[in-house]
Amino acid sequence: MKVHRRKRLGVILFVAAGLSVAVGLTLYALSQNIDLFYTPTQVAQGEVNAGQRIRIGGMVREGSVQSAADSLAVRFVATDYANDVPIYHEGILPDLFREGQGIVVEGSLDNAGVFQASRVLAKHDENYMSPEVKAALDAAGTAPESAATRPGT
Amino acid sequence: MDWTWFHKWGSPKWFYELSGKWLPWLVGAMVTCLLIGVTWSLLFVPQDYQQGLTNRIFYVHVPVASISLAFFPLMAMAGTIFLVWRMKLADVVVKVAAPLGAWFTALALASGSIWGVDTWGTWWVWDGRLTSLLLQFFLLLGVVSLRTALEDSEGAARACALLSIVGCINVVVIKYSVDWWNTLHQPSTNFTLATDQANGPEIWVPLIFMIVAVYLFFAISLILSTRNEILQREKRAQWVMDLVAKS
Repeated sequence: MKVHRRKRLGVILFVAAGLSVAVGLTLYALSQNIDLFYTPTQVAQGEVNAGQRIRIGGMVREGSVQSAADSLAVRFVATDYANDVPIYHEGILPDLFREGQGIVVEGSLDNAGVFQASRVLAKHDENYMSPEVKAALDAAGTAPESAATRPGT
Repeated sequence: MDWTWFHKWGSPKWFYELSGKWLPWLVGAMVTCLLIGVTWSLLFVPQDYQQGLTNRIFYVHVPVASISLAFFPLMAMAGTIFLVWRMKLADVVVKVAAPLGAWFTALALASGSIWGVDTWGTWWVWDGRLTSLLLQFFLLLGVVSLRTALEDSEGAARACALLSIVGCINVVVIKYSVDWWNTLHQPSTNFTLATDQANGPEIWVPLIFMIVAVYLFFAISLILSTRNEILQREKRAQWVMDLVAKS
């Protein structure tokens, strides 16, 4: 390789490396703000003020879903299996909403500590399989644990 | 080291003739893979235990999303070759790849949105993965408009090459966004060889056909637009005039 070409390549690599470091540091500094949601543990630690519009991500605690008989109101508990947040929502739930499912809710905490959700989104994890495989795995007790449904990761 | 193989790429004429011979093979392979992949993934893949039929958009979304991440690395490679060796063909690739990349990124965003409205319950959410891919879409549009905005074509070529190299950083961010931050988008799926586990061969074998088909489609589009651009730029060259006279 000729000298002037090697020099040009050197400059390009230097610029690219410098920019990568700059972007890396910026993203590292912003990492808290880029997270889509707070975990129930962060809420329990008082990182969130009442009335502040935020998102909370967690699992729908098994057995916690109570739907009103005469309206679209629903109460359930979002959990990361360390801490819980009670959620209240009036509206249509996504198809994937079910107990044990990862969800993200948007809204704010009221003064009683109940999260008034204006929107409920369902997460789905990275595992795809047929119902037969799922049934076999459940029977064997080895269903895969997902990073997506482990809140806070 | 012998660099002749490398310097051959500096000749647009050589590439034009060579790629003309590749095209029929590439098109044949793409059509075959696409037919197998589409039939298999739409008709024979088992329904997902949670998402049912909706999950089949996976076989469109994953291939176009993965190819859309290849554009900036490709353009950066070509851009570096252009900046260091001043190879004209490399600049042609940077130029024609940018609008193609914008299209593929738009397809990835659109197919993801359609999937999202059915599973997540929303078309869009500003999480790390979706936002960084949208940023890539605008960066690619930026490369396209930078070229037309600068009147000096040599300067425009250099600026586009540099922006392509810078854009690669965003590809790393897109790739790891689901690991670094919590997102609504799922983390990467780990496929397995085991038939009795999640993400087994019944899920990923048809996906491979679709990925190969989309990659071939990408290669064909890139070659066709590169040939087009070569003819444009070399329109006063003798070999292009001969070609036009013959046809």
